[in-house]
Amino acid sequence: MSLVREWCDDAGALRRFGLALVRDDRFVFDDVAACALIDKLFRQASLTLIDSPGADRRAARVRAFAQFVRLYRRHARRLAVDEDGGWVETPPSSRGCGSGSVAVGVRGLPLELREALLLVVLAGFTHREAAEALDLPLAVVIDRLGRARTRLAANMAASRDAAAAWPQSAHLRIVK
Amino acid sequence: MTGRVDPAQTLAYVDDCLDPQARSDFETQLRVDPELRREVAQWESQNRAIRAAFGAPSRSAPDLGGASNENAVRRAGEAARPVDGGARPFGQPRNRRAPPPAIAKSPAAGLGPTARRLVGAVALVAAIVWVGLPALEPRPPAALLEAGASAARALADLPVEFVAGDPAAIAQRLGPRLALAPPLTSGLRLVGARLTAGWQATATLYLYENSRGARVSLMVEPIDEIDATPARRGEVDGLSVAAWTGAGYGFVAAARDGADVAALVAAAGADDEFLADAGAQRR
Repeated sequence: MSLVREWCDDAGALRRFGLALVRDDRFVFDDVAACALIDKLFRQASLTLIDSPGADRRAARVRAFAQFVRLYRRHARRLAVDEDGGWVETPPSSRGCGSGSVAVGVRGLPLELREALLLVVLAGFTHREAAEALDLPLAVVIDRLGRARTRLAANMAASRDAAAAWPQSAHLRIVK
Repeated sequence: MTGRVDPAQTLAYVDDCLDPQARSDFETQLRVDPELRREVAQWESQNRAIRAAFGAPSRSAPDLGGASNENAVRRAGEAARPVDGGARPFGQPRNRRAPPPAIAKSPAAGLGPTARRLVGAVALVAAIVWVGLPALEPRPPAALLEAGASAARALADLPVEFVAGDPAAIAQRLGPRLALAPPLTSGLRLVGARLTAGWQATATLYLYENSRGARVSLMVEPIDEIDATPARRGEVDGLSVAAWTGAGYGFVAAARDGADVAALVAAAGADDEFLADAGAQRR
């Protein structure tokens, strides 16, 4: 397989990861901006391959994803600082991203859980690579992964129950 | 979560992060622990749902050369690694087709190109002399014969749609497009007709019975642009079939007994008067 093809696949994976991770439309305005950002990140990462002959493609890939995560964290913190000095991420936008209730559930997770889950499940990172990209200890990443999975499963079950219960709880108006 | 297995190990298994030895050990545990199997199935199902929701390729899909999933590629690389431990470039398995077995040289292979051409030409002439020249006259299309045979196979033994022993009455009921009075022959009794799908258009399937009560069918398909051709015979699934064209119609006669087919061909195909009548009806 050609190196170009691998880069294209990696860029596709980063694009999917970005679309799933980002809640705030102001981070990336449209597809053109998203493409430009991903292109820039991979160009930067590819420079590491040139500068350090020992670095492999995997390291460059991790670096590109890590840079994306850092950029979005910074953006989210800057826009959403509450009165106590803490920060709350923007609620999920109505932008069409992903399909079905699973996508809604994933985007409803807190950022720290979402980024760990998406790096591993969507981008195909190993736990160790995800820890490297998120700049966190491995144990923390595994803990977040467990919490993210459990919370997502609970949310999905709750939404299924609500959907199943709807016909019984709905009030029908009798029209004469 | 189960109490016997470390939850981190379960997650590592689901996310394909265990080394081969640990993976094997975990699978041993998995075989004896139904609760663990249920948990793994739940997380794997969740993984699939997330990947599907965001349009990522499935991990279980065959690797067609894409490296969109690093874990799958890494494992493929491990599987393809030779015993001496040397990794292949980019960790990819090398799936090359095995070389074909050597073919023994034929005696003609030693000849030069001109001599080989000469040998080929002589062989062709000998084959033509032996078999004879193929018939160069126009033949009815094989597809017409196939259509008639399949109509006979499917419909000949069913009850007829239009019951009449009178050819003129049947032609009148079929309407102007299909109003061709079916041919009559001495050994066959006309039973009626059915509509059927022909080669390229709707066709009429005239049904006869011979003296033993066996059905004989004649499919008549109106085709404006078709040249007259003599009968072409064949055997399809035990049916003796003959197809021919003329007067803007395609005809296919089919029966178990070849003599019945020959009788119908003689009555309709070779009968110039019948074809002339048919042509006059089309006009």
